[in-house]
Amino acid sequence: MPIDTPIDLACENICKYFSDFTAVDNVSFTIPKGSFFSILGPSGCGKTTLLRMLAGFEQPSSGDILIKQQSMLDVPPNKRPVNMVFQHLALFPTMNIEQNIGYGLRRQGVAKAEITQRVNAVLERVGLSGSGQKDVNQLSGGQRQRIALARCLVLNPTLLLLDEPLGALDLKLREQMKIELKQLQKEFGTTFVYITHDQSEALVMSDQIAVMNKGQFEQVGTPHELYYQPKTAFVASFVGDSNRWSGQLKNIEDDTLQIETQDGLLLQGISSNDTTPANSDVLDIFVRPEAIHVSLSAANNSADNQLCCEVETILFDGAKSQIIAKDKKTGGSITAAMPQTGDFMNLQKGDTLYFSFSREQTLCFTREHSAGGQ
Amino acid sequence: MSLASSARSPIKIGMWLLLAPLCLWLLLLIILPHLELLTFSITDPEQGGFTFSFYAEFFTEPLYWRTFVRTALMSILATILTLLIAFPVSFFIAKMIKGRSKGIIFAMCLIPFWVSELVRTFGWMILLRESGVISNTLMWLGLTDSGVELLYTDATIMLGLVYSAMLFMVVPLVSTLDSLDDSYIEAGYDLGGNNWNIMREIIIPHAMPGIVSGCIIVFMLSLGNYLTPVLLGGKDSLWFTEQIYTQFITRFNWEQGSAFGILLLLLSSLIVWAGLKVTRQSFTKTMG
Repeated sequence: MPIDTPIDLACENICKYFSDFTAVDNVSFTIPKGSFFSILGPSGCGKTTLLRMLAGFEQPSSGDILIKQQSMLDVPPNKRPVNMVFQHLALFPTMNIEQNIGYGLRRQGVAKAEITQRVNAVLERVGLSGSGQKDVNQLSGGQRQRIALARCLVLNPTLLLLDEPLGALDLKLREQMKIELKQLQKEFGTTFVYITHDQSEALVMSDQIAVMNKGQFEQVGTPHELYYQPKTAFVASFVGDSNRWSGQLKNIEDDTLQIETQDGLLLQGISSNDTTPANSDVLDIFVRPEAIHVSLSAANNSADNQLCCEVETILFDGAKSQIIAKDKKTGGSITAAMPQTGDFMNLQKGDTLYFSFSREQTLCFTREHSAGGQ
Repeated sequence: MSLASSARSPIKIGMWLLLAPLCLWLLLLIILPHLELLTFSITDPEQGGFTFSFYAEFFTEPLYWRTFVRTALMSILATILTLLIAFPVSFFIAKMIKGRSKGIIFAMCLIPFWVSELVRTFGWMILLRESGVISNTLMWLGLTDSGVELLYTDATIMLGLVYSAMLFMVVPLVSTLDSLDDSYIEAGYDLGGNNWNIMREIIIPHAMPGIVSGCIIVFMLSLGNYLTPVLLGGKDSLWFTEQIYTQFITRFNWEQGSAFGILLLLLSSLIVWAGLKVTRQSFTKTMG
């Protein structure tokens, strides 16, 4: 990201306490103009509260929200240069499409002729020209999505907030809408803040993702960074699929950690957070199933981890099929993505496979004393 | 084919059994009495045979139709006042409070209706009569020298009508307002709306079915009310149901009373129909 890009949104040490718990705990971040920023986290992590504070429906307990260097703390929701696409879209059922999109413009006192013209223009940009007179329930799920976007974008907001708008769609449509949303964001050049619990939505669309857990940001980075260089065990487990073991550190050579997992696998990995573990520390170990090289004969590569395994179960799911196998030496179990080459088409339970993966793909995290926490 | 029809017939019998109480109710308590009223009202009691004279009487005797117009106008006013008072109350119950207190406040609206209407009306009389609570309090405070009679005015009738009809407006309004998702209101603010136009463009259009059905019920109840106008308005209350009562009971003129009954039904239906036309609502939509 170029340094001179102006900052559209800056949050400084935002906290939000409800009577008995902390929903958002000291979160700070900045979003440059025109970027697609996602906040990814499990339900109950505080992401919706954070978004509602940006929209103005909740007041932060402390901290400041700056939009274009202007503090928004005393600005009510109807005066903020921010618009929101609601989870269930909230298109007004008592108005037709044109009236829905024109609602915000009418509030700004725009002249009638200009409203018609701007509504038609935005309808054309979202590919729904000519449906202005239709009722909301005459449109399909994907079309309603685009109308909800158009209703906000027609106002040229500085910031567009999206609260899991794809959640209600079926899988096929959701895949299609992901691409469409990204496309529309590029065309309009508006800064998007998108919250979701679906990692695939975040990875496909975002320029930057913040992974949120228990009211805090665990890591902020590009999709690529989050996937390949997770900084915490939570990020490693939440973004993408992983084999997850807990194990004990046996030995350190240079920066290579030798670990024994609880079910007996002996692995070599690298430490992924900043702390250097000491011997016999308990570690969380993550290996992505798709990072494991699978072959029918003993591998002739120099990967650090070589396992000879017996197939236990095949979870067939088309392109995302997985093999669950047991290490012959120790009995530890491991999951690998099934290669979609012809060699593996007749794979059966009990067959022998050779798994190999490098130590860089074996991510180890020192477990902190407050287990699973901060 | 025969299998299908034999499988269907028990369902049909069940359906008719379930419908039977409703059909009996409609037939025995609504349709038959009204047919009887209709026959009474168009039969000449002395010579027998068909006559319109009892209907003509209504239109030629100013007391009768003026009483009707007065009753209708007062009922419309009572409906409007009830709506104006009940809407903020309902909005408060449905949208502003959450959880347990919501049920409690709703129940508090209901509790007065556990007491019979007669007793409630007497309650108002105890408060409002010349030797009543309010009058005595005013005297005690030294604001008046002699007792004040607050009963037997149009305002008192209005008070009684609004009070006794309130619940029938609050219930449909609370249920429609409850069904309005908060996100619509938030979306309104988010897009730049203020309280006033969110109320006008989002909340009221959504609540329209509840408003209309509440208004129909309250209007009909006020128009057909006998107890409240007579007790709170006294002899000169000039309520149309009172005229019907007089014809039946005091004058023994059942034919005239029947004609008034039929006219009340027709004219009130006409007013409701006109009201629906004016607000562009359909009856099936509001009741559905």
